[in-house]
Amino acid sequence: MTGPAPKPRVALFVTCLVDLFRPRVGFAAVKLLEEAGCTVEVPEGQSCCGQPAYNSGDRETAKRVARTAIEAFEGYDWVVAPSGSCAAMVAKDYPELFRDDPAWLPRAEALAGRTREIVSFLTDVLGVERVAATLETTATYHDSCSGLRSLGVKAQPRRLLASVDGLTLTEMTDPEVCCGFGGTFCVKFSDISTKMVGDKTGNIAATGADLVLAGDMGCLMNMAGKLSREGRPQKARHVVEVLAGMADGPAIGEGA
Amino acid sequence: MSAREAILARVRKAAGGAEGREAAVAARLAGNGPHAPRPAQARSEGAARLELFEAKARAADATVARIATVADLPAALAAELRARNLPATVRTGADPLFVGLDWGAVERTEGVGRLEEPATLSRAEFGLAETGTLALASGPMNPVTLTFLGETHFVALPTADVMAGFEDFWAAWRARGLDPRTLNFVTGPSRSADIGQTLQLGAHGPVALHIFLIG
Amino acid sequence: MTAHQPTSRQFKKNVTAALANENLQRAMRSTQSGFVGKRAKARDALPEFDSLRDAARDLKNHTLAHLDLYLERYETEVKASGGHVHWAETAGDARRIVLDICRAAGAKTVNKGKTMISEEIGLNAHLEENGVRAVETDLGEYIIQLRGEAPSHIIAPAVHVTVPEVDALFRKTHAHLPADRDLSELPTMLAEARAVLRQKYFEADVGVTGANMLIAETGQSVIVTNEGNGDLSQSLPRVHIVLASIEKIVPTLEDAATVLRVLARSATGQEMSVYTTFSRGPRRAEDPDGPEEYHVVLLDNGRTGMLGTEFQDMLRCIRCGACMNHCPVYQAVGGHAYGWVYPGPMGAVLTPSLIGVEEGGQLPNASTFCGRCESVCPMRIPLPKMMRHWREREFEKHLAPAASRYGLRFWGFFAARPALYRRATGLAARALAALGRGRGRFAALPLAGGWTRSRDFPTPAPKTFMQQWKER
Repeated sequence: MTGPAPKPRVALFVTCLVDLFRPRVGFAAVKLLEEAGCTVEVPEGQSCCGQPAYNSGDRETAKRVARTAIEAFEGYDWVVAPSGSCAAMVAKDYPELFRDDPAWLPRAEALAGRTREIVSFLTDVLGVERVAATLETTATYHDSCSGLRSLGVKAQPRRLLASVDGLTLTEMTDPEVCCGFGGTFCVKFSDISTKMVGDKTGNIAATGADLVLAGDMGCLMNMAGKLSREGRPQKARHVVEVLAGMADGPAIGEGA
Repeated sequence: MSAREAILARVRKAAGGAEGREAAVAARLAGNGPHAPRPAQARSEGAARLELFEAKARAADATVARIATVADLPAALAAELRARNLPATVRTGADPLFVGLDWGAVERTEGVGRLEEPATLSRAEFGLAETGTLALASGPMNPVTLTFLGETHFVALPTADVMAGFEDFWAAWRARGLDPRTLNFVTGPSRSADIGQTLQLGAHGPVALHIFLIG
Repeated sequence: MTAHQPTSRQFKKNVTAALANENLQRAMRSTQSGFVGKRAKARDALPEFDSLRDAARDLKNHTLAHLDLYLERYETEVKASGGHVHWAETAGDARRIVLDICRAAGAKTVNKGKTMISEEIGLNAHLEENGVRAVETDLGEYIIQLRGEAPSHIIAPAVHVTVPEVDALFRKTHAHLPADRDLSELPTMLAEARAVLRQKYFEADVGVTGANMLIAETGQSVIVTNEGNGDLSQSLPRVHIVLASIEKIVPTLEDAATVLRVLARSATGQEMSVYTTFSRGPRRAEDPDGPEEYHVVLLDNGRTGMLGTEFQDMLRCIRCGACMNHCPVYQAVGGHAYGWVYPGPMGAVLTPSLIGVEEGGQLPNASTFCGRCESVCPMRIPLPKMMRHWREREFEKHLAPAASRYGLRFWGFFAARPALYRRATGLAARALAALGRGRGRFAALPLAGGWTRSRDFPTPAPKTFMQQWKER
């Protein structure tokens, strides 16, 4: 006699920007994971994935921060992040970061193999095909770069969004072109970043959608900040807010 | 140390003392290296191959006409020259394919390309169906300048010489023992998009490329 | 050398100028979608495209691991065909070699096919200084030579120039033609350039071309063009000089075909470029045309220094331009902003390799790591990874600004101590949240001018996720 399969034990990797700017994204992720049958824990020992240092060429600091993450997330079946960028850092870049470190490489690889971006985790690992959410609006979806190119997140969010009652998805021109965030890039090269995000908000506005969705807070804060500065009506939300039926309340950068 | 020795020494140092490097190079040069995938479009056969060649050549803005035998070439060329409002003259090399023909009303001169060449005629050694490409071998039979100086470039190609793609082309090329100074692959007439990023035909080379497929 | 001096150091200044240049912005807008769409169409039409990219990557890796042996074989074959091989360690050596050949030939005029190596070594200026006239014959190169500029794109050198600018340029330059002639149609302009340059092919004493490949097996040099200018430049003058860097070698004819199958598709979306020419040595006794002398200048200029390092993969590059065509940074600022010969992602990696990280170090920093370049590179060069390696070298060499270096270490100290990190970031966020209470966003923030000059900044949540999670 076999009982029901044990619930997967999932660690939520909250990520810095969700923690500080958009806690509701974390709760939406928890809700989606629990509804899909996971036991969700939020390890105390987590901080950042280390990308700011890694992408600035400071390998040593990146490793120090990465070791903290590796320790924090050991022992779970899966580690799931509401960010393609942070998930890709762990899943793709940690093994590269520790390639010459025989003590840490196996641990880095083990974590890398168990780390996923939330939407693709729901569809590709848990087999979720639809969500029970309703939102009467028109939205357009921006493919954040790391999720798209490092993790192959493209069809998954669109598939789940198609199951949201009342939601119409309209594709923008060049959804796969970078919004110009790029971590520290957006302040180090703010002129280029401004041009890129201006092109992006132009494409968003041209769809006539009410809402722009994406899977990464960095891109969303960048696009939301530009949309509001330009006085455009479009709002920005993380895709999991919509999928979890939590797209009420103020959008990103909107007053309470 | 000469520049040659210095450069090679640095390359060797970077390569390290790995064993079997000479053998690996010899194997590759002998044709025993790994084979890249052969695209399906480079595997056509028979009539389908000729159709593909024609379609690809046209897609590259060439025009193509089928003629039954080489004896039909002068009349077909004369008709094309008339239709294009060109004088009834053509510049060719000494290819035996052209020399023995009765050129009738077309004045054929032999020699290299000159400053003004309204029409030139070459013979291609092979065609490649996968891209509608002509392969020409330079020499007295086919002066290379005719390929680039003709305002309209005519090329004769026997259907038996149309290969499916690069794989059988290189094999046939090697088998024919050809070693011309230049091997010219030509795919359509010359073009440029350098003014206003708008594609225009006839940059420095021919404005038009017309292929007579013979047989 | 009075060739275009690098201005990569002042990349940011160049960017400001580029973003304010309306003509440039207009030209960039008109090309942006063209290259991208055409490549995508060509890729979709060839199901084997991605596996051919793998094969092309593998063949280049093999070649680079055996480069000395293939170079020796190549040299032997060129000599056997009656050609000459000259080895050049530096740009200066290559310039000297070319000038010497021109002088020995008594050359007054040199016709040039498109060659990026010529740009890299600053050949035109050097020839002019020494009394030899260099005429660019690629239409785009001709236009920028008349404008006194460097190329802004490696396969479309005049991509930044608008039609009215070409019109004005031709009127000024072709002063022998009637001033009131009608150039309003593009074909008229093209015909005029064709007629002017056609004459020059017959006047030149020496023809200089680049090489897309050098074939070790046969000693052939390969050029790939659409205009036919490269072939006229190498067929009509008495002397042909091929300028090529050492990594252009491929082993065999079959290997060349593998590269050709990905090259044009990646560059312009064509299945084949119009002219692909394999040349071997000078004209033979029986040949009615072709050059009497054939020279190859093999240039190192820093490339051997990349072998065996984290930058070796860059030597697989076949100069198709796909990376820049797909790069949002390149599309925003154009090629000149990069300040040297090679722009876009490939330039951001190559420039510091060839002229030093002190000069070119800004370029690999000017990337969001969006990865679009790598995703389209026919040789699968990990461009973002190599840009990161440059940032690492800069960090190690203490070339990164001190504030950023110490800032990262300071931040790293906290980030490696999660409880402390949470308290510190939470405190900062709470302070910011209090400041922006109810507004949802900031229009200006101290220390974040780079962001808030053009964008609002969202207010942090009053309580972090971690706090709320604990309290739930």
